[in-house]
Amino acid sequence: MRTRHPIAASLAVLGYIVMLVPILFVVVTAFTAGSTLRFPPEGFSLRWFEAALTYTPFTSSLVSSLILAVISAVLALALGVPVALAIHRGRLPGKALVEGLFLSPLIVPELVVGLALYQQLMVGFGLDNFQTLLFGHTVLMFPYAVRVTGASLALIDPAVEDAARGLGASAGRTFFSITLPLLRPGLFSAALLSFITSFNNVPLSLLLQSRDFRTLPVVMLDYVQQNYDPIVAAISVLILAATVLVAVIAERTVGFARVFGGINR
Amino acid sequence: MTHAAQFRGVSQVFGDFTAVDDIDLTIPDGKLTTLLGPSGCGKTTSLRMLAGYLAPTHGTISIAGVDSTRTPPEKRDLGMVFQSYALFPHMSVAENVGFGLKMRRVPAAERARRVTESLELVGLAHLSASKPKKLSGGQQQRVALARAIAIRPKLLLLDEPLSNLDARLRIQMRAEIRRIQAETGLAVVLVTHDQDEALEMSDEMVLMKDGRIQQQGAPQEVFPAPANRFVAEFLGYENFLTDPGGELTTIRPEHLWLTVGEQAPSASGGSVVSGVVLDLAYRGVDLLVTVAATDASGARVELLADLRAESAPDLTQGTHVWVHVPATHVVPLTGD
Ligand SMILES: Nc1ncnc2c1ncn2[C@@H]1O[C@H](COP(=O)(O)OP(=O)(O)OP(=O)(O)O)[C@@H](O)[C@H]1O
Ligand SMILES: [Mg+2]
Repeated sequence: MRTRHPIAASLAVLGYIVMLVPILFVVVTAFTAGSTLRFPPEGFSLRWFEAALTYTPFTSSLVSSLILAVISAVLALALGVPVALAIHRGRLPGKALVEGLFLSPLIVPELVVGLALYQQLMVGFGLDNFQTLLFGHTVLMFPYAVRVTGASLALIDPAVEDAARGLGASAGRTFFSITLPLLRPGLFSAALLSFITSFNNVPLSLLLQSRDFRTLPVVMLDYVQQNYDPIVAAISVLILAATVLVAVIAERTVGFARVFGGINR
Repeated sequence: MTHAAQFRGVSQVFGDFTAVDDIDLTIPDGKLTTLLGPSGCGKTTSLRMLAGYLAPTHGTISIAGVDSTRTPPEKRDLGMVFQSYALFPHMSVAENVGFGLKMRRVPAAERARRVTESLELVGLAHLSASKPKKLSGGQQQRVALARAIAIRPKLLLLDEPLSNLDARLRIQMRAEIRRIQAETGLAVVLVTHDQDEALEMSDEMVLMKDGRIQQQGAPQEVFPAPANRFVAEFLGYENFLTDPGGELTTIRPEHLWLTVGEQAPSASGGSVVSGVVLDLAYRGVDLLVTVAATDASGARVELLADLRAESAPDLTQGTHVWVHVPATHVVPLTGD
């Protein structure tokens, strides 16, 4: 950083400012004692946090969001890991094609996916909207899971697995005692990324919502359209705090660079 | 006599490329056998077939007299040291070495004893609690060796075990591997593309080229009598000339000697060819002289003479010389 060109350095600082200042505004306004989303805030109070945590649509949709994110992240991993193994370790003919295929969902607009799911699963097969959302989010995160797991799999020397086989471990034993432990940071980052992607998703969740099952971002969006009070800021700050907490845990357990490094590879 | 392993008519075909071409190879018991050859000649492929990581396209491989062609690697009881060492990064040195014993359900106490024994053999007992990443390349190599030996394998397979080490350590590890082989009495197969390494370490050497075996034998048999031009070139024979009988022969640079003078010297005990000095390279003890000459068939050849610098005649580029080719050192080459 220190050796960088001054112009590049100032651009980086500018970038951080552009990113962080709006967040700072949100955080500050959440603590207002007044009743509008205005800056500067009028006094200090925690009343909007209390309001956010007791406002049932928020709390129940938060639970919905968490359930959806956790289950779809687990499903995406459960499907993604075997596919990543097949691509990187199997003797698949046309590996490149398969790999390319798993990239394609990343470029299909989510609204299109949502509409297709709506037509097929909800109208066609009569699934309820939670099942359809679960399916949609899993499909959405599946390619990420494959890619992130694949990236960390590519970093494992295949000779290490061969060595375990040669020392008497069966293929299954090798997977559980060698491959899986070495893959753990990758799995962790894939799970985290999947979780966050699902939790933040709007297009799919918006299209496939129902009165009984709505995710938090959708409820928040709805709320902001009709009210303009700091309760939304308060809930945003709570989500922010939770995200920071997750990041700190990730850093403490496997290391931030390793968790998020997997994404870029 | 039992063999440690035997290849019969073994081929490995990748698509339309034949990496190993119908080889018959016997690995003797209790000896160190090297597979020697240039890059891409099929050494690793042969070793991987022996270890069970690759199924041969054709042929059979038996280990200790039992056909093992279809036996998976975990059932072969072979110890393999990989070029990248392939230590388990999430396990300590002791856990690495004990892994194979754990897979064999050796009780913990016995396991600990044998781990220590193997680590002592490679001189690393004091590092048993370290993680592999903390070790130097040479130490990692020894751990890999200890891990392979701990299971008391039928055969120890080493794929270019010394190629990642610096020159000094490489020389030291040659002796070390020989010592371990002698102490354990294991049959060892070592892959290398370094002829000095093969000559120094082998009881038996197998020269390969393009997936085929060119020659096999003890270094003392192979080195003075290369079977063909490839083997001769690989072992450092630089000079190839056709003798008066029309046969291709070879001779090492250090066996040629040069004289100057108007008159052709008498060719007692060999032959003499006339030539002109093309190039001189002073190497301290040695003087390397490249001579353009014409052999008995009338073909123009470049000969390399490796002379003792202190006793060499006075030479410059363009000097006319007589190249003496002593018959006792001339090796006839057969085949290609
Ligand atoms: N899985 C594979 N698919 C296709 N070709 C392969 C495969 N494995 C090896 N080859 C080819 O087979 C040939 C022999 O390879 P091998 O690794 O056995 O050579 P080597 O003698 O060990 O060489 P080096 O000294 O470079 O390690 C090479 O040309 C290599 O490209
Ligand atoms: Mg090789």
